[in-house]
Amino acid sequence: MPEINFTIDAQTGEMEMKVEGVQGPQCADVAKIVTELTGTPQQEENTKEYYARPNVRPQIQNKQL
Amino acid sequence: MSKYMTFPEAAFKDRDLLIAALEEIGCSYIRQGADLEMGRYYSEQLEQKVPIVIPRGVIGNDYGDIGFELTESGEYRPVMDELDRSRALNGRFIPKLRAAYNERVIAKVAARLRGTIDRSVEGGVVKIKVRY
Repeated sequence: MPEINFTIDAQTGEMEMKVEGVQGPQCADVAKIVTELTGTPQQEENTKEYYARPNVRPQIQNKQL
Repeated sequence: MSKYMTFPEAAFKDRDLLIAALEEIGCSYIRQGADLEMGRYYSEQLEQKVPIVIPRGVIGNDYGDIGFELTESGEYRPVMDELDRSRALNGRFIPKLRAAYNERVIAKVAARLRGTIDRSVEGGVVKIKVRY
């Protein structure tokens, strides 16, 4: 199950987030939802999962002749 | 010396979330409009027109109003007297506002993703996990 881990430093109010369990650039969609509300992050880094290929099962449809 | 300054390190994109966060940290009176004038209580405080104003004295801001200007990039940035920075909420106005705003951001993200929220506090750090 995908999850986003947020931390907020109570001293500064600064927030960090890490998206886990989402392979490939789909996590960028999640990041976009957040940055729409926060503005451009000061720092951004892609994790290994970002560069991993999502498991895609080929879907085969039987053709009816 | 008393003068209004913009604090660019704090930026808030969503007006509704900003107002809700201001209310949460204790701003009981908030003026909203288009070009609201911030009060000039000292000669060094130059004229400022902003869309959101916390009037002087509401939250320990004894030197002037606290305003939020809207930038060209669509962000609200605080404008306050430099002396109020260390006085409003005992100098914790901006950190507390950022923390309250960010918690609202997370709640909104979780709602959009139809996710669940698990919140804990460990040693001055708020940890929030959103599963979706």
